Amino acid sequence: MIALGLEGSANKLGVGIISHPHPSKPPVILANLRHTYVSPPGEGFLPKDTAKHHRSYVVRLVKQAMKQAGVKVEDLDCICYTKGPGMGAPLQAVAIAARTLSLLWGKKLVGVNHCVGHIEMGRAITGAENPVVLYVSGGNTQVIAYSSRRYRIFGEALDIAVGNCLDRFARTIKIPNDPAPGYNIEQLAKKGKNLIDLPYTVKGMDASFSGILASADILAAQIADTLPEEKRLKAEDGSLVTKEDLCFSLQETVFAMLVEITERAMAHVGSSQVLVVGGVGCNERLQEMMGLMARDRGGSVFATDERFCIDNGIMIAHAGLLAYETGITTALEDSTCTQRYRTDEVFVGWRE
Amino acid sequence: MASAAHPEPIEPIQPLQPPSGRPRGGHDQHTLPAPFLPDACEPLTQGAEALVYRTHFLTPQTPAVLKYRPPKPYRHPTLDKRLTKARLLAEARVLVKCRREGVSVPAVLGADWEGGWLVLEYVGGGTVRGVLDGWVHRLPELSREGNSETISEGRKKSEEEEALWELMRKVGRAVGRLHEIGVCHGDLTTSNLMVRDEEEYTENETNLPPSGDIVLIDFGLATQTIQDEDRAVDLYVLERAFAATHPAAEPLFQEVLRTYGGSFKGAKSVLRRLEDVRLRGRKKSMLG
Amino acid sequence: MATVRKFHLPHYPSYPIYISTFKNVENAAFLRSQLLEGNPNFDYAFLDASTILSLNHILLPAFLALSLHTSGRAKTKTVHSELVFRLHPNNNIAESFKKFGIGDSSRNIIAVKIGGFMKEGQDEVAEESVSRHLGEVVQGDSTDPGERGERLGEECEMEKVRKMYKLESGAGGGGKKGKKIGNTGEAVNGMGGEEKDRKEMESVVLGVITLKGS
Repeated sequence: MIALGLEGSANKLGVGIISHPHPSKPPVILANLRHTYVSPPGEGFLPKDTAKHHRSYVVRLVKQAMKQAGVKVEDLDCICYTKGPGMGAPLQAVAIAARTLSLLWGKKLVGVNHCVGHIEMGRAITGAENPVVLYVSGGNTQVIAYSSRRYRIFGEALDIAVGNCLDRFARTIKIPNDPAPGYNIEQLAKKGKNLIDLPYTVKGMDASFSGILASADILAAQIADTLPEEKRLKAEDGSLVTKEDLCFSLQETVFAMLVEITERAMAHVGSSQVLVVGGVGCNERLQEMMGLMARDRGGSVFATDERFCIDNGIMIAHAGLLAYETGITTALEDSTCTQRYRTDEVFVGWRE
Repeated sequence: MASAAHPEPIEPIQPLQPPSGRPRGGHDQHTLPAPFLPDACEPLTQGAEALVYRTHFLTPQTPAVLKYRPPKPYRHPTLDKRLTKARLLAEARVLVKCRREGVSVPAVLGADWEGGWLVLEYVGGGTVRGVLDGWVHRLPELSREGNSETISEGRKKSEEEEALWELMRKVGRAVGRLHEIGVCHGDLTTSNLMVRDEEEYTENETNLPPSGDIVLIDFGLATQTIQDEDRAVDLYVLERAFAATHPAAEPLFQEVLRTYGGSFKGAKSVLRRLEDVRLRGRKKSMLG
Repeated sequence: MATVRKFHLPHYPSYPIYISTFKNVENAAFLRSQLLEGNPNFDYAFLDASTILSLNHILLPAFLALSLHTSGRAKTKTVHSELVFRLHPNNNIAESFKKFGIGDSSRNIIAVKIGGFMKEGQDEVAEESVSRHLGEVVQGDSTDPGERGERLGEECEMEKVRKMYKLESGAGGGGKKGKKIGNTGEAVNGMGGEEKDRKEMESVVLGVITLKGS
């Protein structure tokens, strides 16, 4: 079976085409295209502009994907789209595109939970069978484990998502959003040396990031080069604290929190595998820290590269097709989208 | 998805059985902090945070529990030291506060924040979980003897049942006292409630639950707070632990709540808050 | 010769702890002056017995002193001064000596010596020399601390200890205000009321010593 997937819950528009040749065989990726809306430095992406971006690119991307995959319309079994969670306007723009294609081509629709898309794609790519999943992106921070046909949320961010914390700090220190704010923070962090104290806010298996962002913002104001040198923030050895130091400290602190809550969930369910998905999951330092933790527990970490970590259409096609194969479709009148859509609301009929 | 448009009710996460067999990266992989040596320390449990051993402290006649928080290799060493110290201190402070105010918890016998360890009084006895499991195990047999499967008010209770109910009242009072002095446990499961018994509690011949005091253990996630919300979450966690034991344990937990409700001035309002927490299932709705 | 009892911390088998007790001491002022002068022959912790509850009340600060001393983290010069300092609930060194060390008028004293800092095989000699030396320099009646140190708290003034460790509760969230720890006087499980009080007090005191200054 073959599915087309459309993703647009945030600033990436993704179109993917996947084939499930046989239940016993791994899925085949026929096309996986993405176009990202990049806002200027110091600014986030606004829903209205992002939706406009998605509308202007979706036709082009679908045509290109079909061409690249070498499939004809009649080869497709269903059209999968992101139902939520995400930003309202961009979600709607893509849902309209999906409905249009469904009517135009006479194909069934399948609404997909974005988080479940990430999890299923991560499992398919890495071969991790039953891992604890850390899902970290600009909009989500969740520690998830599978149990009796649900992806259950064991821990999550109590306020803003970790990716949002990083993105907003990138805006504070005015670094480019191209290719991604988190990527640019990661590059700066590699040059950081001094660890500056930031709040560390873990509560059981939950975490909170807004206080850390507020503290980091205050520190950033204290290193501005418009300040006279004697008034600027100094490290313990007396050297001036740099932007790089702050990026380093921010990453070290928030990633340690993520690894800690993940470890707690692993201890709770008795699992030694961990899968990291979502845009922040591309970060090599996070992957390294997670690996050290997993090794200490006698386990291993699974992560994917930017093709699958960052929002994409193929994961929506894949998760949608898994559901479609169990007989699930979304009727046209139900093909809405929603900003709030919990991972554990989805009945995972395709797993034991 | 069709199922997503009309989501089925979601059952709460049940505490899962602890993994059988220790993971490889457990006690055997870590070096104990000086001056503790492996031959004098017998591994008890491994959480995500701490390794727990049974040992002796100060004199060979004083059995003790060593809680060691080994360095986390993934954490920046400066951050790791800061967190280990802060958490050990917080745990010790809460325990000493409890002991000062007469709440039954293990005494703090010693610690070294830099070394990452804390030594606590060894509490002999079994857990409330063990008592409940033993009772659930014998339920079929009890019903054959003419007791109904569930305990209902108004029927004369057997000696065992009466002892069990008394135990529940003790649990209610112990949790009430803890909350009254401004401490919330943070991980209040039936495994963290001990029944003190100087002669180690085993499945005794009479089947009677032990009659010792309730001792609350494992304050690694405890906080000093008097918020109804935190107190209610403690009760909610305990409720789920009871529910995970057996449906028949439900009336027993009602007895815990009843006693808790009368145990201190603010308890009634905590019970009202518990209703909200139940509805929420502890987790807030997620933003996209 | 003074009666000396030897104790071993389970995790520090090579550092024996010698404890002697004296009553009716006449020359506390002299002993104290020797400490102040730093006389190397007076390498002891001399404690005022009225401040000591039990054997564990000495062994915990001894353990901590050893642990900090052997890892170079001690705040005072010798393992014995560190022991006295560790007894005190806060970080004032002078105050710790004033409160727990002997004063010029102390009548009942406890002498503690931590061995093991000499070469191997000298332990027995040390025990004997401690006994002889203390017997010579302390003018008072040597008493037996008991094989398990069970008589160490006999001269303790409970009210004084309670005050030093601030054991009157009531600071925290709405508990029974003004309740004193270890003052229930009830006899439970065949254990005498006072013995139970002392045990309960000890358990809090050990915690307070652990939390010292933090």
